[in-house]
Amino acid sequence: MIILGVFSMGILERLKALFTGEKIEEKGAEKAEVKETPVKTPVDSGTKTSESKTKKVDAPKAEAKEIPVKVEEAELKKQEAPKEEAKPPEVKEEPVEEEEAPKEIIDDEVENEDSNNNNKKEDNMTLLTDTELINDSNRDKEFTAEFIDAGLETVKHCFQCGTCSGGCPSGRRTPYKVRQIVRKCLLGLKEEVITDDALWMCTTCYTCQERCPRSVTIVSIIKKARNIAAHAGYMAKPHKMTGVFVMNTGHGVPINDATKALRSKIGLAEVPPTTHSFPEALAEVQKICKITGFDELIGYDESTGGLKE
Amino acid sequence: MEIAYFLGCIMNNRYPGVEKATRMLFDALDIELKDMEGASCCPAPGVFGSFDETTWAAIAARNLCIAEDMGADIMTECNGCFGSLFEANHMLKEDADKAAEINAILAEVGKEWKGTTNVKHFAQILRDDVGFEKLASIIEKPLNLNVAVHYGCHFLKPTKTIGIEEQAENPSILDTLVEITGAKSVDYEEKMMCCGAGGGLRSRDLDVTTSYTKEKLENMQAAGVDAIVNCCPFCHLQFDQGQTEVNAKYGTDFAIPVFHLAQLYGLAMGLSADELTFDAQKIDATPAIKKAIGE
Repeated sequence: MIILGVFSMGILERLKALFTGEKIEEKGAEKAEVKETPVKTPVDSGTKTSESKTKKVDAPKAEAKEIPVKVEEAELKKQEAPKEEAKPPEVKEEPVEEEEAPKEIIDDEVENEDSNNNNKKEDNMTLLTDTELINDSNRDKEFTAEFIDAGLETVKHCFQCGTCSGGCPSGRRTPYKVRQIVRKCLLGLKEEVITDDALWMCTTCYTCQERCPRSVTIVSIIKKARNIAAHAGYMAKPHKMTGVFVMNTGHGVPINDATKALRSKIGLAEVPPTTHSFPEALAEVQKICKITGFDELIGYDESTGGLKE
Repeated sequence: MEIAYFLGCIMNNRYPGVEKATRMLFDALDIELKDMEGASCCPAPGVFGSFDETTWAAIAARNLCIAEDMGADIMTECNGCFGSLFEANHMLKEDADKAAEINAILAEVGKEWKGTTNVKHFAQILRDDVGFEKLASIIEKPLNLNVAVHYGCHFLKPTKTIGIEEQAENPSILDTLVEITGAKSVDYEEKMMCCGAGGGLRSRDLDVTTSYTKEKLENMQAAGVDAIVNCCPFCHLQFDQGQTEVNAKYGTDFAIPVFHLAQLYGLAMGLSADELTFDAQKIDATPAIKKAIGE
């Protein structure tokens, strides 16, 4: 970051020298002066000629991402003058644009015309803008901690090789990107993970986990993410209904009349010796679901034996 | 030898012929299958495991307690049940805090998980406790059948904790068990791929599940097999009922009969198609059965 900053100052110096005819040897002395200019520019809305020169250098920022810069200006205006000193590092946090010296020169030529916005967008179409970049404000560290606390610390071992996604039979036919989800869990991108339906496109076949060169317990991580999603209310109705069947009968797939007849015909007990035959055993399963709050989680309605909704 | 027989849901409540064949087979092998009275759903890993780990572990542990009280190891013929029960047992053995949390819940229903039972898969018991030689001795008439073996996912994986096979992506246990009956296991592309039903996908997004199954069926058909052999009632359901769903969605005409490993042994022991409840399956198994027993 610092290196880039110095490098860009070199460009500034050269440009300045071009206009003023100054020599550019005294770098140390120039530094302080240059540091201040980017701050003044947005605040004073650029009327003076000496500043508009430097504004040209900054122009790509304003054009590539109009909204963020406007926000920055607004913030700057709110601030008291003494705080200006704190601003330059923020401006320097955008090395992507600063690196692109050739574009800056092009911008010099057409700087006053907004029409070059289109060209700029095409030039930058593969680059992320600031609003798309992930930074600390996007991260929910408690979300990451949930995985670590659950003993899934191997989430940290992932080096994003993509072996998991490469072998994933779901990834071949759905938007499910297991490598990406593991990364998002580590980064703490909670909303992205739990609101995405693709999280539920995994059959838990373990192909990814078997092949992982870092022994990441991927399926457990996916299931943990699903637990968090479910507790945040992201549950499909058919899944809730399986829970309802278990709460009503003790079985996700309960017996039916056709199977009862079939069982009798081949000499098996008509009803298996499971919770189907032992009401007190079913009561135990139901009690467990109440203690853990599973009934509330899925919205089980005891009076109807169905879902509340 | 005594084993606590865990029935689960799909096998006994949809394909009772699998249960019938298993009881006959273990009678012949002098192994007593003891009923786990009051056992419930394992519970379903795709819903309970995905929604709330504590509920999943507590219901699984309750089932484990029933076998502990019987003083026996558990046998299940379903990969999903095996996955849930094995994983829960393993987790509670590894994590004392979790075990304490689950036991506090179980205390409310008068139970305590002690960690004294082992969870075993049907195919694992046939290989390790019965042995291939003894198994071969009860085959009355070798079957003439080319089959596509489908392992499923939760039988062998994750390898590191289950350890039935060293290499879950290149296993032999089911192929060997199939070939003891005289049938031939035919290799096919993407043999180790999932059927598509697991993880709650079948109930949530049938189209995705059906797409998996279509790929499997295409690869099996290309290998020219007479039947599919699996060791999981959920995979069994997916290949049987799912096959009709593939045909309806894609306009295909797949008609590959589906056998659970226990049904294959039942056939080799002379049980009839009706006793094995093939009449309750969607895909007609008659052609494969006729070829297998040489009618």
